[in-house]
Amino acid sequence: MFKWEKLGRIFNPSEVKDRPWLKEYAQAPATLIFDDFVRVYFSCRPEPDENKQYTSYSAYVDLDRRNLTKVLNVSDKPILELGKSGTFDEFGTYPVSVIRKGIGVWAYYAGWTRCESVPYNVAIGVAASSDQGKTFKKMGDGPVISYSLDEPFTVSGPKIRKFNSTYYMYYISGYKWEKFEGRAENIFKIRMATSEDGINWSRENRNLIDDKLDINECQASPDVIQLGDKYHMFFCYKYASDFRNNKDRGYRIGYACSDDLINWVRDDSQVGIDVSKEGWDSESIAYPHVFSVDGNTYMLYLGNQVGRHGFGLARLVDLK
Amino acid sequence: MRFKELGKIFDPTEHELDFSQSPQALVFDDFVRIYFSNRKKDLSGKYLSHISYVDMDKNFKTILHVSDKTVMRLGNLGCFDEHGIFPMNVLWDGDRVLAYTGGWSRRTSVSVDGSIGLAVSSDKGETFMRVGEGPVLTSSLSEPFLVTDPFVKKIGEEYHMLYIYGKRWIDGPNQKERVYKIGHAFSRDGITWSKTGLQLIKNKLGKNECQALPTMIKIGTTYHMVFCYREAIDFRTNKQNSYRLGYAHSEDMINWIRDDSKLILKRSEEGWDSQMMCYPHLFECDKNIFLLYNGNEFGRSGFGISILEGL
Repeated sequence: MFKWEKLGRIFNPSEVKDRPWLKEYAQAPATLIFDDFVRVYFSCRPEPDENKQYTSYSAYVDLDRRNLTKVLNVSDKPILELGKSGTFDEFGTYPVSVIRKGIGVWAYYAGWTRCESVPYNVAIGVAASSDQGKTFKKMGDGPVISYSLDEPFTVSGPKIRKFNSTYYMYYISGYKWEKFEGRAENIFKIRMATSEDGINWSRENRNLIDDKLDINECQASPDVIQLGDKYHMFFCYKYASDFRNNKDRGYRIGYACSDDLINWVRDDSQVGIDVSKEGWDSESIAYPHVFSVDGNTYMLYLGNQVGRHGFGLARLVDLK
Repeated sequence: MRFKELGKIFDPTEHELDFSQSPQALVFDDFVRIYFSNRKKDLSGKYLSHISYVDMDKNFKTILHVSDKTVMRLGNLGCFDEHGIFPMNVLWDGDRVLAYTGGWSRRTSVSVDGSIGLAVSSDKGETFMRVGEGPVLTSSLSEPFLVTDPFVKKIGEEYHMLYIYGKRWIDGPNQKERVYKIGHAFSRDGITWSKTGLQLIKNKLGKNECQALPTMIKIGTTYHMVFCYREAIDFRTNKQNSYRLGYAHSEDMINWIRDDSKLILKRSEEGWDSQMMCYPHLFECDKNIFLLYNGNEFGRSGFGISILEGL
C-alpha cells in the first residue's frame, strides 16, 4: 500500500496577476524536470464568455527543485495557441503531457471543439518545443489521435510515457453520451496506444481499468510510473451524473498495477490518498500525476471543483 | 471520356421525398439499386440526411421499387454521423455489401464536421449495420476536418479509397465556408486505412477551389476519375460559381493528370442540370460504363444518367 503525506496546496491560480487567460483553474498537472526546477504544466481558463462558455489554455509554473512547495515563476503566456476556425482545438487545449525528445520537448494535448447536440468533442494533438518547453508549435492543424471505429468521441487526457524505447500513450475515450435530466453527460474510460515514432499510433482498443462504481463510471488521468519492478497507474474516477455538487459522487483517486504496461489490475485499496476533512481538497481529489525526483516520489493532484482552486502536492512516505 | 446523356431518371418529388443526392449504384443480375441521400428537417428546422434507394431496370427507364424506409439509422448522440449520412458508397464483398458513409455532425463555430464510417449489409443492401459507433477514416495532422465523400474500390488484394478532406474554413458573406480537396487512402482489410497524404487533383479555380465526390473506374490500364468542383463562395445560386464536373486520369491512382476538357458531358442550356452538375458516380453494368450525377440545387430535383460512348 502507498502512504502519502499531503504537503498542501502549492499553486492557486486566483493569486496570479496580469494574466487574463489565467483567471481560474489549474488542471491536470504534468511535470518536466530541469536541473534547478521542476516545470509543472497545467491547464487554466480565462473568464467565461457571455454565454458562460469557457475556453482553456495550458501554461506552466516552475517549482524550486530543492523545495517543491515554492513557486519560482509562472509562464508569461500560454504554451499553445488555440486552433484555427473549425479545427479540433479551436476552443481549448487541455490537458497537456510532455516528454523530452532529442534536444526538444514534445507536448501531447487534448483539443476541444464545440458541438450542437452535445457540448464538446475532443481529440489529441501534438506539438514540439525548441525553447525548453516554454512554447510549443503544433505539428499540424489536425489531431494525431482522432476518433475511431471503437472510440467514437472524446479522445482526451493524453499521458505520454516512454519505456524500453517504445512510446506509450494512456488516454481516455468517450463510450457514450447519456442524458440525465435533459443534460448530456459524457462517459469515458481509460485506453492506451503505443508508437515507435510518437506520430503513428496503434490502439489497444479496450478499456484498461475495470469499473468499480457502475457501468457509467467515468475514468480520467491515467498516470503511469515505474517504481521498482512494477508499473503503477494512478487515475481518477467519478459518477456520470450529479457529480458537480454532490461530494459523494465527485472524483476520487484510484490505483492499478501492471507487469507489462498493458494488463492492469485495479486495487483502489492500495492508493493511500483520499479527500481531506476540510479545506481545498475536502470534496474531491482528481487528476493525479506521480513523479520521482532526487530520491523522492511525489503526487500532484487537484482538489475541489476539479482544479478550480489549484493543485496540491503529496510526498510518498511509504510503499509496502 | 465522351458521354451521351440519357436524361433525368429519378425525381424525388414524385415519391414524396426531398432531395436525392449523390446517387451510387449496386448492380444486381437483373436490376440496378441506386442509393441516394434524401433530407428531412428536424425540430430545429435543420436538415438531416438519410439513405434510401430506388431499384431500376437496366435500361434505367423503369422504376421497379423505391425503398419505403432508410437503410440505416443515423448515429447516436455525439457520434460523427448523428446529423446525416451523405453520401453512401456501396460495393459487393462476397455475399455482403459494404457501405462507406459520409457522416455529418453539427458544430457551433462552423456548420459541420464530417468523417467516414463503415456499415455492412447481409440482406443484399436493404439494411445496413455499423461496424462501430466511430469512423474508419477521419481527421489527422494534415487533414484537420471534413474527411468525407468516400469512394472505395477493391483492386487485387487491396482496397483503395478516394475521399475529400477539409483544408480551411474561410469567411463568406453570411457564414464560414469550407475548402476541401481530394485524397487517397489504402487498406488491406477495408477497416484500417492509411492515408497517402497527397492532394491528388491540381487546383483550377485557385487555392480555394472546392473539389468533391471523386469517383473512379479502370479502363484498360488507366484509372479515370470524375469529380465535381466549385468556387468556395457564392456557389449556391450563382451559376458561374456552382458545381460542375471535372476529370483526371492516372496509371497508378497516386499521380493524376487533370484535364477537364476530356470530359464530354456539359451542363445543359436549360432544364434540370443547367445551373449545376455535381456528385458524379461511375459504374459498370453489363459491359457499359455509366455516369450518375445530380443537377441543380445539389440534387434537390433528382438525378440523371449518361452512358460512355468512347474514350
